[in-house]
Amino acid sequence: MTRPTSLRFPISACLPARRHAAVVTAFTLLLSLPLHRISGSPYLEVFGHVGCVGAILLVAYSAAVALRPRWLGPRLARLAAIVLAAPVAVLVTFLIAQRGNVVAFLLKPQSQTAYVAMVIMALLFGVPFSLIAMRSERRQRERADRLQIELEKNRLERELLDVRLRMLHAQIEPHFLFNTLANIEALVASGSPNAAPVLRHLIAYLRAAMPRVNDADATLETELQLVRSYLELMRLRMPDRLRFAVAAPPAAALRFPPMALLTLVENAVRHGIDPSVDGGEIDVGGRCDPRTGAMTLWVSDTGVGMPETATPGTGLSNLRSRLHGFYGDTARVDLHEVAPHGVRVELHFQLKERA
Amino acid sequence: MKPVKALIADDEPLLRERLRAHLAVLWPDLVLTDDARNGTEALELFAAHRPDIVFLDIRMPGMNGIDTARALARSAHLVFVTAYEQYAVQAFDQGAVDYLVKPVDRMRLADTVERLKRQLPGSAHDHAAMAATLDRLAARLGHRAATPARWLQWIKASVGNSVRLIPVEQVHFLRAEEKYTRVVWDEGEALIRKTIRELADQLDPERFVQTHRSVIVNLASVREVVRGMNETADLHLRNGGEVLPVSRSYLHHFRQM
Repeated sequence: MTRPTSLRFPISACLPARRHAAVVTAFTLLLSLPLHRISGSPYLEVFGHVGCVGAILLVAYSAAVALRPRWLGPRLARLAAIVLAAPVAVLVTFLIAQRGNVVAFLLKPQSQTAYVAMVIMALLFGVPFSLIAMRSERRQRERADRLQIELEKNRLERELLDVRLRMLHAQIEPHFLFNTLANIEALVASGSPNAAPVLRHLIAYLRAAMPRVNDADATLETELQLVRSYLELMRLRMPDRLRFAVAAPPAAALRFPPMALLTLVENAVRHGIDPSVDGGEIDVGGRCDPRTGAMTLWVSDTGVGMPETATPGTGLSNLRSRLHGFYGDTARVDLHEVAPHGVRVELHFQLKERA
Repeated sequence: MKPVKALIADDEPLLRERLRAHLAVLWPDLVLTDDARNGTEALELFAAHRPDIVFLDIRMPGMNGIDTARALARSAHLVFVTAYEQYAVQAFDQGAVDYLVKPVDRMRLADTVERLKRQLPGSAHDHAAMAATLDRLAARLGHRAATPARWLQWIKASVGNSVRLIPVEQVHFLRAEEKYTRVVWDEGEALIRKTIRELADQLDPERFVQTHRSVIVNLASVREVVRGMNETADLHLRNGGEVLPVSRSYLHHFRQM
């Protein structure tokens, strides 16, 4: 009787928590002791009554949330369940104790007093116990929420760290930086009027390549500006070998994963143009089908091309997953060969907001 | 006395000019030949002018600075010029070779000029130490550059009027069709001219196995192997579609599966 889990309730959500069952068992065992002293009835009989009432109240408390009508909040539902269940619980207990002869029994004024006393006692203990239980549940929930928030914060911090490392280690190559600075030093030393604009390109590139907390303001427009700055710097360094064209973007304000195009352009310079004695041309552009919202961006070079055994770097697969993150799983990265030599990389994705 | 001649090899014109300007101040008597824009040009100009000193950029298109140095080491004093080569600088610091970092510092260049003047006329370098340094350098730079993979990483296929480069990990299987081979990958299929036999030799055997005279499959694409009659089997692929045959002579690949 004091093991409510043995009750066959249809929904497991209605079953009391093990902790609550233990508390109710312990308390009813304890409470039966003074009642046994006062009433003079045998301890087991008293405990039979008190325990039965406690068990019924516990089940009512536990089932209240699952069975409550929609307009009733969970806290109110539990309190209402206790208040309504108390007279019923005592009645049921008497019914069991009197083996069904409850009507005759209740007609005695003495028994009526006992009934009322028992109901009052049930309410007296049941209601505060429910309040305490609800408060401890709320605390537990808050602790779990805090833990969840903490985990989420950790995850974000890890991601930010990852972004920082990626930017610092992979993007600003020291060789690139010092070589560019050496070129700027040469311009300054010779009093060239190009020095200031070139320095501005370097500043724009460095600013974009620095770790940022918030990528939200990165657009296709800013990405193409970055690409232009980078290509201007490279043209300064290899004026006889690098030609380039960067077209105006079809959807300038589109949110765009920062450095996604730049990575491709850097690859085109590093693996396409730089190894070539004669150099080549880099073409960056895009088009958007206004009817379907299908977007294509490309970086094409006429450099040395790619051998079929060239190990694909992690850049391409990273790019693929970043595009998926931004534009959904239909985003693709395609590679094409450019005749007679060179590589064209195309990004395909669907615009979410159609223009 | 015969004037001392020097050659500058660097693919970046501004840096060639800057080095020229520094040298004109620090060593007015030095005769500079035409500049080289890459290693190959450096060798040609060297043959034409026989300079005593060569300033060599390490990263150059075509033939790089290290390979050029190997060809020149016995006949000229070499000074490497590099922007940032952490590993290279370590190799240089073990002696044997002069080096400058870009942007070139005039004081540092002045030291180099003094040293060159002292050494000059005389044998160029300690050849053994020089060769060892160049080997170390080549090993370090070579290690950093992507080592070319032995196996095919991309399949070239004509799709429409363009040539697609399909990463092999996206390929599900290849199957001979008359004169061509059909490639089926994540995004579609295409015909290529390479034969199954050629492909079997070129694809990484850890990832691709031949299952039949006319079929090569990517092991990652196989969902299950259904044993058939007479020591044969059928391969069912992860994304459904075609069922591929395994003939008796190739069944051993799937014994463990």
